[in-house]
Amino acid sequence: MLDLSAVRHQINSMVADHAEGGTAAFDARVRVAVTELQRWSSDWPALQQQLDRSRSSWMVPRIVSGPLAQGCTAPDRPERLSVAATDGSQIFPDRHEISPCYLLNIGYVLLHYGTDERPLLSSRPSLYWRDDDLYPQWGGRRTAINRDMVGFRRSLLELTELAELAAASQAAGHETVALTDGTLVFWGLEGRPPDFRQASLTALVSSFDLLASRRIPIAGYISRPGSPEVVNALRVGICPVEGGADCDRCPWLGQVPPCASVESVSDAVLFRQILQPGERSALFESGSRVLEDYGVHQIFFFYIHAGDEIGRVEVPRYVAEDEELLQLVHATIIDQAAKGGGYPVSLAEAHERAVVRGPEREGFYRHLEEVFVRNDVGARISRKSLRKRTVGV
Amino acid sequence: MAETEVTGSEVTGSEVTGTRSLESFLDSDTRPLSRSPIPDDQDSGPAAARVGEVVESSTTTLIAEARRLHGAPDFGAFVRIESDGQQLVGVVHNARTQSSEPNRRPMAYGKTEAELRREQPQIFELLRTQFEVLVLGYLEGEAMVHRFPPQPARIHSFVFPCDAAQVRVVTEDPQFLRSLLEAPGVPTDELLLATLRHALEQRQGSTRDYLGVMGSELSRVLRDDYDRLSSLIRRMTTWGRGEAS
Repeated sequence: MLDLSAVRHQINSMVADHAEGGTAAFDARVRVAVTELQRWSSDWPALQQQLDRSRSSWMVPRIVSGPLAQGCTAPDRPERLSVAATDGSQIFPDRHEISPCYLLNIGYVLLHYGTDERPLLSSRPSLYWRDDDLYPQWGGRRTAINRDMVGFRRSLLELTELAELAAASQAAGHETVALTDGTLVFWGLEGRPPDFRQASLTALVSSFDLLASRRIPIAGYISRPGSPEVVNALRVGICPVEGGADCDRCPWLGQVPPCASVESVSDAVLFRQILQPGERSALFESGSRVLEDYGVHQIFFFYIHAGDEIGRVEVPRYVAEDEELLQLVHATIIDQAAKGGGYPVSLAEAHERAVVRGPEREGFYRHLEEVFVRNDVGARISRKSLRKRTVGV
Repeated sequence: MAETEVTGSEVTGSEVTGTRSLESFLDSDTRPLSRSPIPDDQDSGPAAARVGEVVESSTTTLIAEARRLHGAPDFGAFVRIESDGQQLVGVVHNARTQSSEPNRRPMAYGKTEAELRREQPQIFELLRTQFEVLVLGYLEGEAMVHRFPPQPARIHSFVFPCDAAQVRVVTEDPQFLRSLLEAPGVPTDELLLATLRHALEQRQGSTRDYLGVMGSELSRVLRDDYDRLSSLIRRMTTWGRGEAS
C-alpha cells in the first residue's frame, strides 16, 4: 500500500523545484534556441556542413529541407481515404503465476473516410507458451524471456501486422495510409545478439519493402516527444570551436560551454514557438545508430502542430522522398488529430482494441487456472502469488 | 479463426506476405450485428428475419440487442422468441441506444448523422440498441397460451417480429390486457394503447367489434378507477375517426 501522506512532502518539494527551476531561465534558453533556428533558417546547408565537420557526443539529425524556422501548411486530405492503424499490448510472463506464458494482443483499425463503408475494428490475441518462446536461444545462449524482449516483440508485431493490414486494404481498392503509435526507430535492437537483430530486421525491412512496393505511406506518430535531436544540431551550430565541434576535446571541460545556452530544450518546445496549428516543420533524417541496419529504409522525421500538442512524425525514406506521399501523411495526421480531439483517432481506437486492462489480466489467469485444473494438469502458482491473493491479518 | 494464425516463433523470423485478405483481420468470432443501415447480404435463411438477440433473460422479461443500430421494433409491438423448441411471445416496452463499452460515453459532435458516417465512422461500431420485452406467454401450435413459459428464453435466442396472424391470435383473448395491467415497471397505460393499436392494424373490417370487446374487458378490470378508465376509452374512441391518440 502506498502511504500518500508520507509521499506528500516529497511531492511538495518536487513541485517547488519545478517552479523555481525556473521558468525564467528555461524561457531564456528557449528564446536562444528560437533565435538560433532563425539564424540558420534559410542557411541550413551551412549548418549541415558544420554538422558534417563536427564530432559531437549527441545524436544529431541530417537536415533535409528548409527553411527551418518556418512551417508548411497542411494540404487537404483526399475526400476518400482509408486509415489503417495498429496498436499492441501484452500480458507479461509472470513466473509467480500458474504458467510463465505470455500474451500479445494486437488491435486493428481500418477507417474508411468519405464513404459509408463499415470500418474494421478488431483485436487478435496470440499466446506464447512453447519453450522456444519462453527460453529463446539468441547468440548461442538460452535465456528466459524478459519484459524488454516481450515489449520489443510486441512493437515488431504491431509494425508487421500494420503492413499486412494496409496492404490488404489497398488491395481491396482503398487508398490507404498506415499509422502506428510511437517510433519507427527500433532502438531496442542496440546491444542485442546479432542473430536476434538479424531476425527482427528482416521482419522490419520486409514490412517497409512491402509498403514501399505498393506505394502505401506509413508514419509513426509520437505524442509528446521528448527528443532534442534538432536542438542538438543547434548546439553544434553554436559551438565556436574552429573546424567544428569536437565534444571529446571540449575546451570548456568542467565549465559551462556556450552550447549550454539551449540545454534541456526539447524539439517539441522549440517548434511550439515556430509552428501554427496544422503546420509541419522542415524534414530531418534521424541519426540513430540502429538505422545503419535499416538498408534503404532510413527514417526521417518532422514535427507537427496537431492542434493541441506538437507531435513528432517519423516516416521511412520512400515516404520522405515522395512529395505526394509526404503531403498525404501530413494531411492525414492533421485530419486524424482533429477528429480525435488532438490525438489521431485511429490510433486511439487501435489502443482501445488492444489494451488488456488489470481485471482482464486477472480473468485470463483465473481462466487458465480453471482449464489447468479441469484437465488435471499439474501446475502451481508460487507461494508469493498465493499469499498476495489471500492476505491474513 | 482466420487462416493466418500468428504464433511465437514466427513473429521475429518471418517476412510479411502482403497477401492476406481484410477478413483475416476480423475478430475470431464473427460479428453478430450489423451497425450499418444497409442489410448484410451474407445473411440468409430463417434467421435473416430476426430483429434482435436475447442478451438478458428471465421468466417475465428479457432484454435483446437489436440486430441493427436504431433497429428496435416499435413500442408496443409483438415479438416472438424462438428458444429451445418454445415459441415465446412478448411485447416491446422499452428501447435504448447507448455506448457498448462501459467506460466510454457518446459525446456531441455537432454534425449530422450522414456527416458522421462519412467522417467518424468508428462511432457507429461502438453504439448498440437494446430493447426490453415483457413476456406474455407462448404459442402452442397455432394457439396462444396466456401463461409464463416453463423456461425463460435462452440467452442468444433470436427475436422475430410476430406476423399478422400471430398478432391476431395473441390479441384475440382479452387476457393480454390483464397481463399488461399487472406487469410491474412498465408504462402501463401507454403500453396498453400502443399494443391495442398494433392489434387493430392486423384486423380488417371488424375493428369496431374488436374495440368493443376490449373496451368492456377494460371497464371490468378498471371498474374501481373511473378516471383512468375514461381517459383510456376517450383516447381509444379517437382512433376510429382517424385521429392520432
